[in-house]
Amino acid sequence: MERETLDVDVLIVGGGPAGLSAALRLAQLQEQRGGERLSIAVLEKARDAGAHMLSGALLDPSTLRELVPDFREKGAPLAAEVQHDRVYFFTQTSSLRFPIIPPPLRNHGNYIVSLNRLVRWLAEQVEGRGVDFFTGFAGQEVLIDRDRVIGVRTGDRGIDRHGARKPTFEPGVDILAKITIFCDGVRGNLTKELLRRYQLGRGRQPEQFAVGLKELWAVPSGRIEPGTIIHTMGYPLRHAEFGGGFIYAMPDGELSVGFVAGLDYKDPLFDPHMAFNRFKRHSFVRRLLEGGQMIRYGAKALPEGGWNTIPRPYVDGGLIAGDAGGFLNSMRLKGIHLAMQTGMLAAETAFEAIRAGDTSAAQLVRYQEKIDSSPVRAELYPVRNVHQAFDYGLLSGLVFAGLTVLTRGRWVEDLHGQAGHERMQTLTAYYGPASAEASAGKTRPASITSSNATEVDRRLTFDKVTNVHYSGTAHDEDQPAHLLVHTDVCSTICGQEYGHPCIRFCPANVYEILQEADGPRLQINASNCVHCKTCDIMDPYGVITWVPPEGGQGPQYNGM
Amino acid sequence: MILVVAEQRAGVLNRATWEAVVAAQRLAQDAGGLPIRIAVLGAGDAAAQELAAAGVGDVVVLSDPALETYTPDGYVMALATAIPSLAPQFVVLPHTYQTRDFVPALAARLNRPLITDVTGLSGETFTRPMFQGKLAAEVRPTGDRPCFVTCQIGAFRADQVKRGGAASSVTTHAVTIDRSAIRQTPDAPFQEAKQSVDLTQAQRIVAVGRGIKSREQLPVAERLAKALGAELAASRPICDSGWLPMERQIGSSGQTVAPKLYVALGISGAIQHLVGMKGSRTVVAINKDADAPIFEIADYGIVGDLFEIVPALIAELEKK
Repeated sequence: MERETLDVDVLIVGGGPAGLSAALRLAQLQEQRGGERLSIAVLEKARDAGAHMLSGALLDPSTLRELVPDFREKGAPLAAEVQHDRVYFFTQTSSLRFPIIPPPLRNHGNYIVSLNRLVRWLAEQVEGRGVDFFTGFAGQEVLIDRDRVIGVRTGDRGIDRHGARKPTFEPGVDILAKITIFCDGVRGNLTKELLRRYQLGRGRQPEQFAVGLKELWAVPSGRIEPGTIIHTMGYPLRHAEFGGGFIYAMPDGELSVGFVAGLDYKDPLFDPHMAFNRFKRHSFVRRLLEGGQMIRYGAKALPEGGWNTIPRPYVDGGLIAGDAGGFLNSMRLKGIHLAMQTGMLAAETAFEAIRAGDTSAAQLVRYQEKIDSSPVRAELYPVRNVHQAFDYGLLSGLVFAGLTVLTRGRWVEDLHGQAGHERMQTLTAYYGPASAEASAGKTRPASITSSNATEVDRRLTFDKVTNVHYSGTAHDEDQPAHLLVHTDVCSTICGQEYGHPCIRFCPANVYEILQEADGPRLQINASNCVHCKTCDIMDPYGVITWVPPEGGQGPQYNGM
Repeated sequence: MILVVAEQRAGVLNRATWEAVVAAQRLAQDAGGLPIRIAVLGAGDAAAQELAAAGVGDVVVLSDPALETYTPDGYVMALATAIPSLAPQFVVLPHTYQTRDFVPALAARLNRPLITDVTGLSGETFTRPMFQGKLAAEVRPTGDRPCFVTCQIGAFRADQVKRGGAASSVTTHAVTIDRSAIRQTPDAPFQEAKQSVDLTQAQRIVAVGRGIKSREQLPVAERLAKALGAELAASRPICDSGWLPMERQIGSSGQTVAPKLYVALGISGAIQHLVGMKGSRTVVAINKDADAPIFEIADYGIVGDLFEIVPALIAELEKK
């Protein structure tokens, strides 16, 4: 098939904080240093800038200040400056306020932001500065020529659900670049390809992830002071489970309410969405939300592993930045500034490499050097073991985090993590052999799913399908499923071994098991997908692969 | 003079032509009362008569056997010969698929300005959308006349045509067309994969959901639909499983309907479905689960087994 090609100097895949910071930095370097004009293109799978952006979000403004010193004058959308920090430990019936705020959770000088709005604003800053911003185009595959990354192929459009071409068929375009900067986000589909092909994770620890679920609420104003941020630990999670809740108060009674659950839980019947509902039903949270209205919902995975899990971020012709590379500080619960910082460093490396006429890995190793001498390493290296310490439970994790703060992370030996999906136990291993007699799909008395404490009242708590509606996600039904699943395990061993965990870890009801005459059958409701990547990460057999659907589709995270 | 190019097929006028006439009348008025003429291409006698009867301006029929069926080359040749001798200031067309097909070539052939997809005008300033409607641009033609203007469908209202007191004349303007220069040979028109049903027009709809359990049970719903004189529709899972075609799917990823009567059988009422049918005048829901959200918007709700209730309903309806 004949494909159109487009030649550029730098291609940036992903228009999030990392990608747009890279684009903006390149434009600035161009303006400052002159010389032959670089052609710069940004690919973004969402229809509009920011539409797939979801985060808490707390912003450490240090990088923003570096990138756009007059960000205030330029109207950066910072919802509220943090005024009050609170941390609570929840039990099922009570909440215990920490008398002091652990230093990593002190947010003085930080801002509550909507990442959706911030990224839209960043896109405006890039506008008119010689950057081609292609929204509605997903990177489908990495183009490689003799081990060198030479660009990215965008997805075909107009393919029906059986794989045949519709009258609207348009083949994807090959965008060829001297350097491609991969900013395709947490578990990015292209970065995943690079990791495998170049074994970029060799010598590193396994990546670690969590999934964050979030709702935006409008509550009667005056209930909580804008600029207040609340973090919680404990209930509904059990000691061995990593995660917690957050509530960020913005002006006009707007609350960002969310829950993060580590994707390394052992209980195959654990359901992050159910944990989120339980969190909202806790009397402390219920008091804040009751009488208010849920106005938006979303979910997204986040890289939690830290410094020791970051892959080699450069290859011949390619760089990796932002969440795609795992640049997130899970102890401070912040990654936006690191995404922006690595985007900028990638841009600087790319600019110098193109000027030097050498875009091989030998030159691009400069990116690693820049990271090593930047605030990114200064921030991430000392806390490199903290997430791994939570493998031993909440208490160990907290003690370890405390020690890390005291010693600034000077440890002789690093802790070793295990890939989260490998930690999931079988029903028999987790619940004991007695319950192995129970057939697949049935809930177990001891499991978190069996509790009747979380029924859905459609006012405070919602079922997944209703929540999905509030993510604004939309996909054309007549296209191939963008979740590639080797379904033979679904109907054979998975029910017995794990009880179909996909129907629980997916926060958008993409996966359903229908009990049919000839056994269980997996139904994939791909049009519900909110692009969170949890299934690609957490499925215990590793048989689910997330690929982008037709460009321009997916969630609409306005204000998230 | 302002020339409107009518669109017709076998004498049947495309209604969008009237919208172009309204735009032309506005333009003529703003220019201090320019006369209007209307060009009809090919054998469109009935269309020409209909236009003349409205008395909005003289009708010119460009006739040549080669124009009987539409080809872009034929239309470009005919108009490229006729327009210089008619010498209009503006040529106004409806922004139809056909217009989009030939008018860029025509404007390029004559080397004259072309303003497409116009949504409004004031004097000689035209408003048109840019960047997929995100911006509205005001443009003013420069260069030699005529200027070609195509009007967005629905932007000008056909019922605002100012009809003249008397019928206008119909004259024939001979054009010579070199048939051998026409590079297209059209086949007979056909309609691709004709949609068998337009649910949005249905007065009554019987919709089935997962409660129907299996494909083999669908005839129950079909019989109820027949007894009610209703169309059969479904929620997403039914169409996703291929039990009914996708064109019968109601909801956020399907059709949005507002019939007088909507009977929901075994539909729980996920919000994605509700947004597609909540405009229905009367909603009747039959569902086993008394807590199903469908009952929150139903005017009449029956909690029970649809396989018992529906046959009883059918029997009752068939008695009459």
